[in-house]
Amino acid sequence: MVSRQTTAGQPIAYAASAPKYSTRIASVVRSPLYQHTLGAAVESRIGRVLLLTGVPLLWLVMMHLGPIYQMLKISLMSHYPVQQGVDWHYTLANYAIFFQESIYFTPLIKSFVFATAATAATLIVVYPVAYYVAKVVRPEGRSRALLLLLVPFWAGELIRTFSVIMLLANRGGLNVLLREIGWIDRPIPMLYTSFSLGFGLVYLICLYMLLPLYSAIEKIPVQYMDAAADLGAGPFTRFLRIILPLSKDGIVSGCSLVFLTCIGVFATPMLLGGPNTVLFPETISGFFHGASNKWPVGAAFALIMLVTALFTAAIFMRLVGGKKRSAF
Amino acid sequence: MRGIFSDGPRTALTAFYWAFLLYLLLPLTLMMAMSFKDASFVAFPIGNWTLDWYGKVMQDKQFLDACLYSVMIAAASMVAATTLGTWIAMLIVAEGIRGRMIIFALACLPAVVPGMISAISLRIFISTIDMPTGTAAIILGHTVHAVPFVVVMALTRLRSMPGNLVDAARDLGADNVVAFFRVTLPYLGPALLGGMIFCVLLSIDDFVRTFFLGGYRPTLPMLIFAKVQGGMSPEINAMATIVLVVTAAVGLYAEYMTRRARTR
Repeated sequence: MVSRQTTAGQPIAYAASAPKYSTRIASVVRSPLYQHTLGAAVESRIGRVLLLTGVPLLWLVMMHLGPIYQMLKISLMSHYPVQQGVDWHYTLANYAIFFQESIYFTPLIKSFVFATAATAATLIVVYPVAYYVAKVVRPEGRSRALLLLLVPFWAGELIRTFSVIMLLANRGGLNVLLREIGWIDRPIPMLYTSFSLGFGLVYLICLYMLLPLYSAIEKIPVQYMDAAADLGAGPFTRFLRIILPLSKDGIVSGCSLVFLTCIGVFATPMLLGGPNTVLFPETISGFFHGASNKWPVGAAFALIMLVTALFTAAIFMRLVGGKKRSAF
Repeated sequence: MRGIFSDGPRTALTAFYWAFLLYLLLPLTLMMAMSFKDASFVAFPIGNWTLDWYGKVMQDKQFLDACLYSVMIAAASMVAATTLGTWIAMLIVAEGIRGRMIIFALACLPAVVPGMISAISLRIFISTIDMPTGTAAIILGHTVHAVPFVVVMALTRLRSMPGNLVDAARDLGADNVVAFFRVTLPYLGPALLGGMIFCVLLSIDDFVRTFFLGGYRPTLPMLIFAKVQGGMSPEINAMATIVLVVTAAVGLYAEYMTRRARTR
């Protein structure tokens, strides 16, 4: 299936006259252990192919596909873990449960609403920033301007979530500041609401929007804008007709990335959300922890979420229609 | 060169950038400031300042143990993810490979699957192969998470590599393995170092995978999560500040390394 050509002529001929290496690799290469194992393997075509493909393909199939496959399998089973003497069969009942109870599908809808809103908010907030760094800042200063924005993201997900609590709590930074100014008498309850959750989500994920947008906007040649200006286009027209369409790639990948991350965020809703903001990941998690050990239902729900999330992202990509991006 | 915008929008954009930076930094600054508060009640304004909380954290066995545990897991998953990621990247750029796109898509899959679902599917997976939750499972989960990033970083660097370097090595008598270790790997070096540090940061930050795959011994994020749910105290702030400063320093270093790699 796979071939790798040696352009080096006949490697076997070289093996006879031992190559001269000046480093430690020489002793390894000359040792009988190497010559009879790896050394011998790379001399034959099959050996090379196996060496190149074996481990990566095994890993990819086992660890990248395996878990999803097992999740799919268990989601179709009536019982798991299967105990001795218990009859189990394949069934779709686990999926049916989702549509029967509103306590199950409301969180999914909420998750989607939150993720969509957070994605839109992030796009609107981050776009000017990405534009500023990519086009307004002088080229020499770009790295520094970008680096400054990246610093907060080396704090982990949890620490950033925690720091949002410091800002929004009843006696947190914002409320205390507002009271000092005298705009409010009593603290506005911001924490443990939809607002704090949305704020936290945007705070958490704006980097995923910034980087794709930045690299897309940076690629737009300045001459295009100059040309448009010469032809009489005002700033607004230039933005709408040139910058926006040309940065579409960045918008598409940024939004998809942010959306998929938002959907899967787990700790943030638990720390920043309130009783009204139970999102789907928390619902799913309930099936894996605690007394109700219903793995098949949890697996089915996780798959429902995965499929709807990827489907939404795919539709979005199709609608906005970035040009087909290939890896090569 | 003429400005893209006239001065008005330009100033507005500059102001917006700094406001955004303030938005990014303000919560973290408040979080750090609170760790110096000389009272156990977490609330502003901070009256008196103290370093006591740091002393307390430094003597906290649980915290030190969690640090050690997190670093250990990060190191193990970094080694595994870098090896596998580089290997997969080599496979993708190899000559005459069919299904390149499929392999690439498969390699990127864990980066696209939402973290929560990835964690659950791994939890199910390890139970089907009778692997207990705990250290090994966490390392496996973090490795799966990090591999796509290493693949992408290694691929970017590999594409800029002149193909005749390896040909030359082979002409001089190196077999494929030797050519990889003496030519390709040194060329990849700086990009891989950046990738490795990124793996470490991913692993140390990870909460959801550890939550589902971990045993009773907490990693850093698990410990902080448990403490936050247990009740606020400036002690948590001190902990978080220490972790933040260390990870930011490591991240800056990684950024510096990859930047140097790109310009070289």
